[in-house]
Amino acid sequence: MTASTPLLSVDNLQTQFETAEGTVRAVDGISFDVHEGETVGLVGESGAGKSVAISSILRLVESPGEIVGGEIRFQGETLLSFEEGPDGERRRSPETLSNEEFRRRIRGREIATIFQDPMESLNPVFTVGSQLQEFIEINRELPPKDARDVAIETLREVDIPKPEDRFDDYPHEFSGGMRQRVLIAMAIACQPSLILADEPTTALDVTVEGQILNMVSNLQDEYGTSFVWVTHDLAVVADICDRVNVMYLGQMAEQANVHDLFDDTKHPYTEALLNSVPRPDKTVESLTPIEGVMPEAIDPPAGCRFHPRCPDAREVCREINPDARNVSDTGRPHNAACVKHDAFDVDYEHSAPIKSEDDEFGEDLQVTEGSR
Amino acid sequence: MSHLRYTIKRLLQAIPVLIGISSITFFLINAMPGSPVEVMLGPTASEELIAAAEERYGFDQPIHVRYVKYILAAMGGDLGRSIHYGVPVTTKIMERLPVTLLLLASSFAFAISVAIPLGIVSARRRNQPVDHGSRVVSLIGVSTPNFWIGLLLIIVFGYHLQVLPSNGLVMPLTPISEVEGATSRLDVLVQTAKSLIMPTIALGTLQMAAVSRIERSSMLEVLGRDYIKLARAFGVKESVITRKHAFRNAQLPVVTIIGLQLTSALGGAVLTETVFNINGMGRLIIQAVRTQDYALIMGTTLFFGVMFVIGTLVTDLTYAYLDPRVTYEGED
Amino acid sequence: MAAETEAADGEEYESRVGASYTLSRLLQDTSARISLFLIAIISAGALFAFVDAEFLDYRLAETYLYHPLRNNVGARPLLPPVGLSNQFGEGVMAHPLGTDTRGRDIAVRLLYGSRIAIQIALVSTTIGVVVGTTVGAVSGYYGGWVDDVLMRFVEILYSIPFLVLVIAFMAAFGRELIYAMIGVSIISIPIFARLIRSEVLSIREETYVEAAQAAGVKDRNILLRHVIPNSFAPVVVQTTLQMGTNILIVAGLSFLGFGAQPPTPSWGQMLSIARNYMLPAPWFSVWPGLAILVTVMAFNILGDGLRDTLDPRLEN
Ligand code: SF4
Repeated sequence: MTASTPLLSVDNLQTQFETAEGTVRAVDGISFDVHEGETVGLVGESGAGKSVAISSILRLVESPGEIVGGEIRFQGETLLSFEEGPDGERRRSPETLSNEEFRRRIRGREIATIFQDPMESLNPVFTVGSQLQEFIEINRELPPKDARDVAIETLREVDIPKPEDRFDDYPHEFSGGMRQRVLIAMAIACQPSLILADEPTTALDVTVEGQILNMVSNLQDEYGTSFVWVTHDLAVVADICDRVNVMYLGQMAEQANVHDLFDDTKHPYTEALLNSVPRPDKTVESLTPIEGVMPEAIDPPAGCRFHPRCPDAREVCREINPDARNVSDTGRPHNAACVKHDAFDVDYEHSAPIKSEDDEFGEDLQVTEGSR
Repeated sequence: MSHLRYTIKRLLQAIPVLIGISSITFFLINAMPGSPVEVMLGPTASEELIAAAEERYGFDQPIHVRYVKYILAAMGGDLGRSIHYGVPVTTKIMERLPVTLLLLASSFAFAISVAIPLGIVSARRRNQPVDHGSRVVSLIGVSTPNFWIGLLLIIVFGYHLQVLPSNGLVMPLTPISEVEGATSRLDVLVQTAKSLIMPTIALGTLQMAAVSRIERSSMLEVLGRDYIKLARAFGVKESVITRKHAFRNAQLPVVTIIGLQLTSALGGAVLTETVFNINGMGRLIIQAVRTQDYALIMGTTLFFGVMFVIGTLVTDLTYAYLDPRVTYEGED
Repeated sequence: MAAETEAADGEEYESRVGASYTLSRLLQDTSARISLFLIAIISAGALFAFVDAEFLDYRLAETYLYHPLRNNVGARPLLPPVGLSNQFGEGVMAHPLGTDTRGRDIAVRLLYGSRIAIQIALVSTTIGVVVGTTVGAVSGYYGGWVDDVLMRFVEILYSIPFLVLVIAFMAAFGRELIYAMIGVSIISIPIFARLIRSEVLSIREETYVEAAQAAGVKDRNILLRHVIPNSFAPVVVQTTLQMGTNILIVAGLSFLGFGAQPPTPSWGQMLSIARNYMLPAPWFSVWPGLAILVTVMAFNILGDGLRDTLDPRLEN
């Protein structure tokens, strides 16, 4: 990748939820960059904190959730940063964009989103067209008439047949796939520099998913928009992403470009993920599910968070929670949060393997990413 | 199916219900001890006189014959004669109905216009002092007998401050000469407004409280929906989200509750009219019971049923107007 | 492992509907605690009044308090509460809330009036729940013409405003309290019938009911063992709320002269007397209404608390 300043850079972002059972650190210090024109994958099982990360970037985290730390920079501007207050408490620094500015200048206009659930994300009592038109009016400051034309044009671009006629239909008159196209239309119609897509194809069947992925690649070629694509599906990642970030329990496990990630996997979790799903280049027989279920973010395991499920875990993994650092031997950046790499000088080689915990889990457990 | 066809269908469906109401009241009333004629003529009337009067009013016929006759006549718009007032029941009802309708309309208008903003503010400032305050008000509102609110209002505003009339309701179309101290239509309307204030509050408080509770919870629910998050994600202002994106959805359960409140509002009208000595349908039925005016009891009960059926229909149509997902197809 | 999870869920479900679990969760809620406390006090007063009136011919009241029915010899009528004065005199400690038109102690009459309210809440509501639940369960479970007939009837009952229906009923049968109670039971029927029917319709589709049917369990047993217990939560909540509503309705009826007949005190009837003395003795109108308000509010708070406890989906 180029050495230029990234379009979006997220540094040590932390978001937590106060619940009756305790504090859930849903996003616990993740960092990643998105460059101009790039599609970056954010991958992990359910509960890994991907969606919270997306919501945090857009400041859409709702109570009892709260962003408690980190820095987000976008197009050279500070969207969010923290400083130490007079009493030692952490508070938003003065450079942080005000909520009002953020809503006006960033949301929709610069950073748009595509939500996960097409059935729930459109307002049932307004026509599809009017919702799209409203967002266009707000974010491109067009008069209603022109906004309507743009809306119809965009609906056409996302392959909705007869968009003039469908404009005045209500969401319930659209199929799931069609609604998802509408959500995509909303994102691209505002001509943002970055689109955050939160598992936009999870709710759809495979054929429709394929069509939509195709369409998105074409649109991206046309507009050069950057994407952050949240998914649990590595096949999708392989299909459309340039670089990939793998998350586990609120932290980064591995970050690399898509080829390195698939061909030169550096983190046992990524390895496990890859083994658990069908890949175009592997036959079905060789699939092995990841053992165990992902622990709750409310009570993460001490040490490396993956150690209870990790086939390579050693005693040292119980003590050290590794950060994602560069472990590349090719010169291309490739980060992994695993102490078995030499970049972590912790004497992994001589640590005793953890064996006992593996037996606690049954044989038939799958990766827990679910049908949400 | 269009709204019009749906309306007609619903009205047709209401006919069996109305016949049912007539039947229930008919048999209830005929379970009354003594014949109405005896009541009318007094205990001193002779046997012959009673027999003659019974024949004239048709009370000498067996009950099933009278029942069929009554239902058939009622379907033709004839509800019999009021023995007490000596006029057809329908005449009396038409005289009283507008009064009750005005009172109901005014109290629902009051209830809704106070409850909706209150509920929304409560939801937006959830668990803040405003919210707690409005929740306490609603709780008290749904627990207070409306006639007692009426009494308290009369004590304070009618007797002590003497700013509002505590007796009767001046109808807006009353001839000017009949309204005390009025020299123009405007005076009459002012009187109408003044005489409506206390009954409206007395009758509307319960509805207001019930609606604001549901408005709050429904607004909270809607504000947590994905489509609201989407609107936020696209830079829509919070005020626009409340007023436009969430508002319409949040009103759906509210409309349902208003429909359910109809029955208590109609019952409440009886009490409110009694407290403020308003000559509407409610006082009419009480007077009918006091004078054992059979035809009038049946007629007024039936008309309360009619008001309920029409009110329910109006709320259903409102619902369908607000929610495009409602189709009349599957309805039965 | 999977099987284990299911078993655990089942247990949790059981414990969730269990009475002691419900109670302990309910008691964590301050307002629900207060409401239970209030209901307990009012019920205790009502029980005292009931025993004294029915079995002891007001001897307790006469000995320790004042006779609630008879004129109070020597006491002045329409006295205000302690600390206030009006044209009839100054409030005295002996009658802390004042006296009524015949010099009877208002506090004692309020106490004896609570009996009517609690009686309505318990008896009428219970009859309404039992009959309504049966009608709704049978209707929902059998469907077909049984459902049609029963539901039409329920719909008709529901279309007549509650108060009007009871008034018509009492016009036919009589103005005594007992008819008010029967009338109020009747109007509670449609509410529970509809509630249970919709619950039954959803539960009927559940696998365990289908399984019981397939296993040849008798209909009556399926209704009793599966359907009704599973509709328990909404019924308990609605019952509590309905108790408040019924107290309100009966108070309204008594106010109109239908219900407990003088000299037996009821709150509504006290208000209808007080209404004639609003100008000279406004306090007389205040107390009975306040008693109704507090009682009904206690049932409403309890109902809300139960709803939050039994039906976490609705929590907010
Ligand atoms: S640090 Fe240890 S436990 Fe964690 S991924 Fe690496 S080998 Fe596995």
